[in-house]
Parts: sequence; structure tokens; C-alpha cells
Amino acid sequence: MTLQVQVKLFLHLRKNRNQTVEVTDGSTARDLVRLLGIRLEAVGVLSINDRQATLDQQLKDGDIISIIPPIGGG
Amino acid sequence: MPYGYNGRVLHVNLTDASWEVEEPGEVWYRTYVGGSSLAAYYLLKNIKAGIDPLSEENVLVFACSVVTGAPLSGFSRYTVAAKSPLTGGFGEAEAGGYFGPELKFAGFDAIVFYGRASKPAYLWLHDGDVEICDAANLWGKDNWETLEGLREELGDKRIRVASIGPAGERLIPFACVQNDLEHFNGRAGMGAVMGSKNLKAVAVRGKQKLEMADPDSVKEIRHWHNERFKVHPPNVGLSKVGTSGLVKGLNQAGILPTHNFKYGVFNGVDKIDAEAYHATIFHSSSTCYSCAVKCKRRVALEDDAYPLDPRFGGAEYESLGCLGSLLDIDNLPAIARANQVCNLMGLDAISTGCVVAFAMECFEHGILTTEDTGGKALEFGDADAMLWLIEEMVNQRGIGKILSQGVKKAAAAIGRGADKYAFHIKGSELPVHDGRGKTGMAMGYALSATADHVETPHDTAFAANVTNLLPLGILEPVQPLDTNAAKARYFSLGQKAWGINNCYGICNFCSVPIHAMTFTRLVEAIKAITGWETSLFEILRVSERSNVMARMFNNREGFSPADDRVIRRWHEPMPDGPLKGQRIDPEEFQAAIEMYYEISGWDKDGKPTPGKLIDLNLEWLIEENDATGTGETVSSSA
Repeated sequence: MTLQVQVKLFLHLRKNRNQTVEVTDGSTARDLVRLLGIRLEAVGVLSINDRQATLDQQLKDGDIISIIPPIGGG
Repeated sequence: MPYGYNGRVLHVNLTDASWEVEEPGEVWYRTYVGGSSLAAYYLLKNIKAGIDPLSEENVLVFACSVVTGAPLSGFSRYTVAAKSPLTGGFGEAEAGGYFGPELKFAGFDAIVFYGRASKPAYLWLHDGDVEICDAANLWGKDNWETLEGLREELGDKRIRVASIGPAGERLIPFACVQNDLEHFNGRAGMGAVMGSKNLKAVAVRGKQKLEMADPDSVKEIRHWHNERFKVHPPNVGLSKVGTSGLVKGLNQAGILPTHNFKYGVFNGVDKIDAEAYHATIFHSSSTCYSCAVKCKRRVALEDDAYPLDPRFGGAEYESLGCLGSLLDIDNLPAIARANQVCNLMGLDAISTGCVVAFAMECFEHGILTTEDTGGKALEFGDADAMLWLIEEMVNQRGIGKILSQGVKKAAAAIGRGADKYAFHIKGSELPVHDGRGKTGMAMGYALSATADHVETPHDTAFAANVTNLLPLGILEPVQPLDTNAAKARYFSLGQKAWGINNCYGICNFCSVPIHAMTFTRLVEAIKAITGWETSLFEILRVSERSNVMARMFNNREGFSPADDRVIRRWHEPMPDGPLKGQRIDPEEFQAAIEMYYEISGWDKDGKPTPGKLIDLNLEWLIEENDATGTGETVSSSA
């Protein structure tokens, strides 16, 4: 069984920044990051449905996942 | 000559226009190194507690480090430090560009200014020579006119100039020092201290090459470092869009300060983010000495209302926030124009934006009315009101004169409950990073001697992985929203790691711990430049020593644990966005601060213990510690 989640990418991750992705049931955010080919090092803040989340959080159908690279200073 | 540095510190007495050169030995250089650390040494040695920061008794330091000017990306920065007229405590601010390296090439590692010139003066350093020159014809000029005037007078287009604008001359306590019109020692009012000394500018030019202990290794590290910028995630974004990229990212994370720090999400973000910036006002990229990142932006716009000149600097993230989202302003040309006015006049854009936000919120609540402003409405979102108020502050007119003292003093002068909306820590306005979304940053604001953020960990960079922090023994991801003992431990280590950069004069955007440099290679770089058999242990101790010296300075000025706090709004639930409901619990925060004291070897009064001072080779400060600490609070936060 697969789930559909929506992915929003920010800053230099922006290629195809809003996309719908199919993942297998039971996948975590970490699995999604791997599937997207994004290096773990490039993940700063991860939010699911606009709430800060961890890489170990399990995904649900329809989730909106935002991935923001590490940012600091300015 | 030693490797990497000159071994020469210039002491200038402006009162009698005399100077002398000190040649400290290697042990001293290896202990105090440069930047904020070297500056703290001279401030502690030469400033008596309780002096007026704008009197001739203040001491002003320009400090490079032992590695400033090495041909590596980011090794360009220098510190300007003095007792701050904004906080009454330790004041420091760093800037990049070309001035710091040029000062080294001119034969000096640092300059210490004493006294006050009887009339406007500038210092001219060239190839080891020192001249104190008349600046009467430059007084009253903006920073661009000053730079051009000095280039013409000295007959050299390649001089580098650190100067103040009219804001510094008029002693506005958040006046900045700038070099080349796009690099700023922004915080803590160092421009006002220069102004109080009648010191308009420091011009430098030098052709002396700094000798590297191991030039082949420096070259190899440079190649590795510059290649890594192309693939290391945070640097890829910086090279592409500069710090403007942070606007959208922080907004998405719910921590883009908006409406005077009330909200963390700005509805107009799409109009001020990196995409809008590069589609409308972007002119070209710029950089600092020897740096491959090229994060600086230049802007241009032919427009009657908001003309933008590429020579006068592009808005960085802090300006986009402080002059944009913090004021609910989404007019990007107006924000960039306000930033250029600050640059030319010599105002710190962070404090300037915060002061305007304070005024707008006072107006919103009827504390300020058109009666106070001479008929001008100061409503959130009104870009022209912002520009008007900046001009009034620079020109010291009406409400502008009151507000130009900073939010703490302005609130006291206005009364009527204005202090409820005056957000400052230790008297300093805040950069735009909301502590509710990264509590380590909140601890940093509270514990920084200057209440700034550049020596403070950004928790959000390490919420998913801590690869870059592993050499510090931080092995688990950081929880940005937690306030507990684990956060105090992380903060303590992170603060030391970030603090390295201000001591060694290295740019955060090139260095540890977020950006492309690694701890291992940084140690190798310092060793290759200086020839010192150094280690991560030693450079972390330099950073800790610097922090403790700044703390000692503040303690003897009467600061106490009551000043180690954050703003009221961060203890209140975030009203909207991804962090809706999030707040910093005051008791948890206090416990974390006290845990930090314990971890650091400080007592319950926030004073480093004699043992800690001995540990850091600072036994000369033990007597100072015994003489201070009345517990009296000199500052409080709204």
C-alpha cells in the first residue's frame, strides 16, 4: 500500500520544490528524505503539516512535509 | 617576524596626538589571539568601571587576529570594541570586507585609541607609518562622501577606510562603523564611541605580505575549502542568493520576527524573499577579501521614491527582517532604500528597525499619537513612515531625537507604559531570530555580553543531524524547542564553538560549525598559518576565555543574573504559524541559565569562580571579581 504526501522544499533544495510523492505505508520522514535523494546533512528544520517534526516521525496519507536546509545567522 | 601576524599593536592617544607601538610576545598572542578576545583584554586593562561610554575615558579597539588576512575564504574579519553607549556594558561588533586584512598589510594587528581629539581627526596608516590628520572637511559627511574625500586627499583609490556617518558624530548610541559601504561593525554603538572621540575615520594601506608558516598547506586547505562551498548545503544557498534566502526559510519554520516580535509568520513574505529580491532589485554579487562564497548582494533601482545605488550596499537578512517583517512592510525597494540610508548615515540597521517597530507599536496602542509626532501617523506597514522616522532620528528632530536613544531609554522618556513594547536585552535591540523557535538562541541572547547572536548556536541547524558537531561530542540531534539541562550542555559547547569565529576573525558563513569548514581543518589552517602546534582544545579555550573576559567586564559594570533574560514576548505563546502556542517557560529557562553557570564554573551570581579564572590563564582578573557584584541590576528587559 502506498501513501501520497506533498513535499515543499526551500532555499537551494528548491528544484521541483512543490511535489507530490508516493511512499510506502509505514515510511518515516527519514525514508522520504532518502527517497528524494536529499543528503541528511542538508536537512535543517523538518515540519509536517506546519508542525516541527523529527526524522523518525511516521508519515500519513496527505501529509505536507517541508524541508528547510540548516540556516543560521544573517 | 612571526608567521601570520605582525607582532605590533598600535596605541594612539587622540588627546595629545601621540602614538606608540607595543610588541607583545608570542605567549600573549597565543593567549588572546585577536578579535573580541584581544579587544576584551585591552578594555579590561584600560577602562575603569562606571565611566561614561561617550567620555574620553572610554577606550576604542580595532582588532584583527593572528590569522586575519591569510588567503583563505572568511579570514577577513576584525572587531571594533569599546564600552557600549547602548548597554553600558561590553561592546563589540565584527565586520568583514577588506579593511582588516589591509590593516595587517599596513603593519599592525590592532589599534587601541585613548582620549579624545580636540577637533575632528582621522588616522592614516600606511606601510608601518602613522599619521593623525585633520578631518574638519569630512565632518558632517556621509560614509560615501567620506570615502571619496579620503581617496582624493590621499591620492590613492585603493585605500581601505573604516568610518562613521553623521549618526556617529551625533552620538546616536546605535551608530555603526562601516568599511567600503557594504561591511558593518553594526552593533553596540561603536560609531558613537568613534564620534565621541572626534575620530571620523581610519584609513589603511599596506603592501606588506603576511608570511605563512606552511604556505603549501594553506594553499591546499584553500583549495579544499573553496571546492566544499560548491556542495556543502548551507553554502550552496548562500552563494546563490546570499542571506536573503533565510527570509522564506525562517518564515516557513515560524520564526521570522514580525510586528515587533509578536508573530513568527509574515503574510507579505513572498514580496521580500530571495525570489522577489533577485527578480526586482538585485544588481550583482560581491564578496570579502579572498572569499569564494560571494554572499554579499548589491542592489540597484532607478526610482524617484526609493532609488538604490549598487555602491551603497544591499539589504542582508537582518535588514530584510528588521526593516521589513518586523514592521509589517512588504515594499522591498523601500526596505532596501531604508537600509542604504542607514549605511550612508551610519546607523545599525538592526537597532534602527527595532526602534521603528517599537514606535509603531506605541502608536498602535495610543501611547504615541500624532501630537507626539508632529502630525505623522506611524502605522505598521507604512514604508514612508519608516523612512521619515529614520531621517528624523538621524537629524535629531522631535520624536526622532527621543527614539534615537534606543528603545530602552526612549521608553523611559515617553512613559505611559511604553516599556511594555520596548524589546531589548541588556539595553540592546534584538536581531531577528525568535527565541521561541530555538531556545539555544534565546539562551545566547540572554547570556551574550552584548545581547547579540553571532556567538550563539542556531538549534535549528542541528535538529535533524549533528554531523558537523560530532567532534565536540554532541552526538544526538538538538531539540530546538526544549529548555532543559541537555539544552544548557549543548548551548555551552555550541557557544564556545561559535565564539571561535569572533576571536580568530573568521566569517560564520565560511567557518565552523554550520558552514563548510570543519573543526579538524580549521585547526590545521591555524597551524599552517601561525606554525603553532595547536588543537581544537586550545582554540575552544581561547573562545571561552574571550567570553569570560566580556562577562567580567559586564560584572564589574554592575550587571547581574537579573540581566540574563529574554523579552517578555518570548514567554508568551506564539499566536500563529507552525509554532502556534509555543513559549519559553520562565522557570525552565531560569533553570537552564543556572545550569549553564554551573557547567561554566560560574557561581550563583553569574561570576566566574577563581578556579575558572585560573583555568583560563586569567588569574589577573581574580581581584576584579572580588571587587564587583553588588547584585544591583543596571538593566532590565521588557
